[in-house]
Amino acid sequence: MNCGDLKDAYELYALGLAEGEEQAEIARHLARGCEACRNGVDQAMALNSLLLGVSEDVKPRARLKRRIVASVRGKHRSWTWAGILAAACMLIAAVWLGEQERQRTSQLVDTRRALIAVTADRDRLAACLRMLDEPDTMRVGFGKSGPPHGNVFVNGHSGVLLIASNLPKLQPGRMFEMWVIPKGGSPRPAGMFRSNEGGTGFNMMSGPVDVASLGMIAVTVEPSAGSAMPTSQPIFAVPVAGL
Amino acid sequence: MVSYTISGMLNFLTAVLAYAILQVALRFKDDADLARRLKAREPRAMEDLYDRYGRLAYSLVYRVVRNSAAAEDLVQETFLRVWNRVQSFDPQRGALGPWILTVARNRAIDYLRSLDGRMAAGALELDRAENPALFSFDDSALSIDRARRLKTAFEKLNPNQRMVIELAYFEGLSQSEMADRMKQPLGTVKTWVRTALKALREELVEATGV
Repeated sequence: MNCGDLKDAYELYALGLAEGEEQAEIARHLARGCEACRNGVDQAMALNSLLLGVSEDVKPRARLKRRIVASVRGKHRSWTWAGILAAACMLIAAVWLGEQERQRTSQLVDTRRALIAVTADRDRLAACLRMLDEPDTMRVGFGKSGPPHGNVFVNGHSGVLLIASNLPKLQPGRMFEMWVIPKGGSPRPAGMFRSNEGGTGFNMMSGPVDVASLGMIAVTVEPSAGSAMPTSQPIFAVPVAGL
Repeated sequence: MVSYTISGMLNFLTAVLAYAILQVALRFKDDADLARRLKAREPRAMEDLYDRYGRLAYSLVYRVVRNSAAAEDLVQETFLRVWNRVQSFDPQRGALGPWILTVARNRAIDYLRSLDGRMAAGALELDRAENPALFSFDDSALSIDRARRLKTAFEKLNPNQRMVIELAYFEGLSQSEMADRMKQPLGTVKTWVRTALKALREELVEATGV
């Protein structure tokens, strides 16, 4: 068939209603790029479109638009929600892992601090024991008339060691401060310390001391940061002059 | 005569033609931008598409199936099909409105065929006929002047010619099926179809001076 034989079938072809040899022939013409048939089918589609648009106007229910828009958005939303869910899970996992890491780091810092404190105590105790074991260490007792009582140990090479019991309870933010008072001189800070629950505490000022110039060892209660000079009356003062 | 039994329906069709056909011609304009937005998957584009063609598509589908629930399902299917296939559509050359109406019409015809066991026979043809690549004709063919001329030509058709147009466009019957339905010889039906389409076609061609 030539294009002229097919022209009456273009509209039905465009509607999917062409039959038999007409349908097959138009398809063959279009497949080989027949311009006349292409133009004919295009015009047929335009005519069909105008005719299909001619119907009694019927208003659909408002929910139809919502259904259609939701069905399209639903496809997007499923991916969007999946993304949001994945991101939320990752965020939660990241926060959880971060918190775990923070806790581990905090525990590690606390452990290291405790280790440093224990090591310092150990070193101090070791120094105290060495001092006590030295033959030239001198001892002065105090508190026979009432608490607190204890001993002051002085060694010209090692320093001054104070061991006291029945110490008063400290208020928060306060510590004991030991003072070394030379004969006729001003008090010099000699270290901060706390007592244990039983009221016993010790403090050592390490290093050589001029025993001959020593006048007194005293203890006051001071702010935790320490004071350059005593800010309260001494809890006790132990004369060490003349050792 | 069969044609007299449906003459009331055809007269009504003619009465609404003048208004509706102008609406169709107007709506088919300026679809390129909307098509581009659909291809870009802009969320608002589907709403705009429905605002422009939802009522038209629903009216067409309802006319075919005469069932509001089925019509809603089929219109939803239509818009989803357009959404899913719009990537094959050429927004520079394409006519979005005609494509949507064709998809809507084919969904409705497919539904009718499934009801009376004709589904398998024409499903493939319907699917081919709504290929978006086919809808790349010059939309100047959808001018208001052409719409007016089509209306005039349609009004001049005799009842048998209007009947076969109705059966083809809105019930999806082939010429053989029309002959069975109308209990007329196939040759007679083909003559009615050919003369009806020729009259409509000539009006559209004359409108552009081709």
